[in-house]
Amino acid sequence: MGSYFDFERFLFVFPKVISCIGVNLQIVAVSMFFGTILAVFVALARLKPIPVLREIISVYISFMRGTPLLVQMMIAYYGIPLLLSDVFLNVFGINLNRLDSVIFVEIAIVLNEGAFLGEIFRGAISAIPAVQKEAAYSIGMTGAQSFFRIVLPQSFKLIIPAYGIDLVGVFQNTSLVFTLGIVDLLGKAKTLGAATGHTLEGYISATIIYIALSLILKGFFLTVERKVYSYGV
Amino acid sequence: MVFKISAFLESFLSAIKYAHVTIELTAISFVISLFLGLIIATIRHFKVKVLSQIFAAFITIYMGLPMMVAIVLYNLIFMTCYPDIALKLHINIPISEINPIFIGYFALIMGYTCILSESIRGAYRGVANVQFEAGYSIGMTKLQTLRRIILPQMVPILLPGMQNSLIGLLKASNLVSAISIIEIMNGALLPSVRYYSYLEGYVAAALVYWIIGATIEILAHYLEGRVGNYNKKSEYKTGRTEESIDRIKRSEEKLWQA
Repeated sequence: MGSYFDFERFLFVFPKVISCIGVNLQIVAVSMFFGTILAVFVALARLKPIPVLREIISVYISFMRGTPLLVQMMIAYYGIPLLLSDVFLNVFGINLNRLDSVIFVEIAIVLNEGAFLGEIFRGAISAIPAVQKEAAYSIGMTGAQSFFRIVLPQSFKLIIPAYGIDLVGVFQNTSLVFTLGIVDLLGKAKTLGAATGHTLEGYISATIIYIALSLILKGFFLTVERKVYSYGV
Repeated sequence: MVFKISAFLESFLSAIKYAHVTIELTAISFVISLFLGLIIATIRHFKVKVLSQIFAAFITIYMGLPMMVAIVLYNLIFMTCYPDIALKLHINIPISEINPIFIGYFALIMGYTCILSESIRGAYRGVANVQFEAGYSIGMTKLQTLRRIILPQMVPILLPGMQNSLIGLLKASNLVSAISIIEIMNGALLPSVRYYSYLEGYVAAALVYWIIGATIEILAHYLEGRVGNYNKKSEYKTGRTEESIDRIKRSEEKLWQA
């Protein structure tokens, strides 16, 4: 590529691009936190034989699985203000149209993760032996108590490998947010490119950061997995 | 502002008109990736010197690269390098007349070759070593054993994961919209630009994707049922161990995410 890629320019651009990593990490943290909470309830709703809710949840999961995240983000971005702006403006005094677009991205990823993590949780929860629940009942715990104190903590142990893969996937999915004009790694690379006329260095910086951080996250989850499983499940 | 049904319908029809682009992108990339993935997985399974190490390192690194970044990066490299290369090769086609879709193909095939090769490697592990030995013992060559004994046994192991990765590929093919290829999403947005009815356009695109995804799911379900029949009968013959089944399940979980 010779003249297209200049190492000095790369060194100049790299720190500027990496300074925007906070946006990506914030999206990952927020959406994983709320996504995990949502996923537990999605998994519960799929496991319990509640007539209407069960069908709604399966349609929801099918939609989240069958449509691209980018489209979901766009629907959240255009759809939520359209549906709820009057309610929010009158009740909470929040103008949804002025809200940062990061929030809509986070809502989309949370809903998406609710479906994907929900399936992972469902597998883990149904893998816990029924004896555990019976033991909890036998010492007088209620249904909710036995679930949240006995079954759920044990299922956390089982989902670690899948959860790690999922988290890395969410981090990689944050690369889509620049299409909504959010200045994240890729968005910063794009703006720098527009300002200086040399886009390639910025994009290569973003590529390196994405690959490095994905590998670090994967390594971290592998270590956690080894630590946890070395004590026996 | 309300949800306009007429705009939605117009977007929906427009999306269906461009659905063939997405379906071609998905199908062709999937077949090529499957083929390349099989080759890479075979090389890595038999631990071919040098090559298997190179592929292992490459796949580990490449799996860390998000598809969107890859597509945007390849597009940029193509845009900047094309004029010079065309000048050297005496190609007189201006850059504006070249369809950027092959960049999409390239990025999708690269990404999914890595993902599929990982799951095929998992399936290799799911077939017991005894099967290879049985093949050799009746005088088959390595290739014959692979083609006649091992690969057919890998099909039922692979199917559930393949369904997930096919749907994943369908969704990933949506990302080529970033390099202004008109596929389902951009197709659905064509009428939206006129009326500013973006929500209707995106909902229409989601619906078309959903229909295609559901079709894949139903087909795969049918296939799995058929293959499962065979598998139920011969589970003990393949000599799969509990551990290997567990490993396959894990590799499928990886795909589920993708």
